[in-house]
Amino acid sequence: MTGIPDGDESATRRYPGASASDTDGVAPSRATGPGRLLIAVYGVFALAASARAGFQIATKFSEAPVAYLLSAVAAVVYIVATVSLARPGTRAYRISVVAVTTELVGVIAVGLLSIFDAQAFPSETVWSAFGRGYGFVPLILPVLGLIWLRRNRPGRSRI
Amino acid sequence: MDPFFLIGVVVSAVSAALCIGAAVLRQPPNDITILSTAAVELFLLAYAVGAVIRQSTGDPVLGEGWEFWGYLLTALLVPVGAFWWAILERTRWSNFVLAAAGLTVFVMLYRMEQIWDGVAGL
Repeated sequence: MTGIPDGDESATRRYPGASASDTDGVAPSRATGPGRLLIAVYGVFALAASARAGFQIATKFSEAPVAYLLSAVAAVVYIVATVSLARPGTRAYRISVVAVTTELVGVIAVGLLSIFDAQAFPSETVWSAFGRGYGFVPLILPVLGLIWLRRNRPGRSRI
Repeated sequence: MDPFFLIGVVVSAVSAALCIGAAVLRQPPNDITILSTAAVELFLLAYAVGAVIRQSTGDPVLGEGWEFWGYLLTALLVPVGAFWWAILERTRWSNFVLAAAGLTVFVMLYRMEQIWDGVAGL
């Protein structure tokens, strides 16, 4: 891999001064280094949560509509987080912060509710019991995500 | 226990371990880690062929059929996607990405085996 593919914004922006026509001002890509792993894991969760929500809603929605709608919300949050983390620019950065924060609030809220009010969550979601069914990754992921976003906030000079 | 499943678990776990090892040693993706990811994909292809044969020779999926095949098709995309994502920027972190693919396939295989045996729904 020697050449940078044309039109790959994230690849060109990694190099200082490579993006003269940058409309977002200083917009370092977050899809680099540890960020790539973060995005990959977000991608896996976007896939897993979407498939799960799709399956639940398609086959047994009436059993637990609240839980399954929540699954769908979680899926959307993961998709938005994955895409916005992978994209450069300030706008994508803000979307990432909102998505990842929503995810953190969601996993904590659903985690608490699923423990103290099990009646409301008769069925598993990605966020049930703080994501226990997924090795607690859903709880750790947004924390790492917010740390990564903070370290790579727009305007901060790069290492 | 299905021997296919055991082989898959070993292949994906070894691949993940190799990739994590290489990442810890600060290596960018190299032949070993890339080939180990390829081995995972190769296994999945063999597993898919095996599953088709089992399905058509009187040992069908006991759980939801389309859920099993959905898992399998998705799992087939995971090493390919990880490879693509890892190769775009070759740093040590890309090896962690490849390791994540191995771990993901590991978990998905476990789940596929459950579906095949008809254990617990989603």
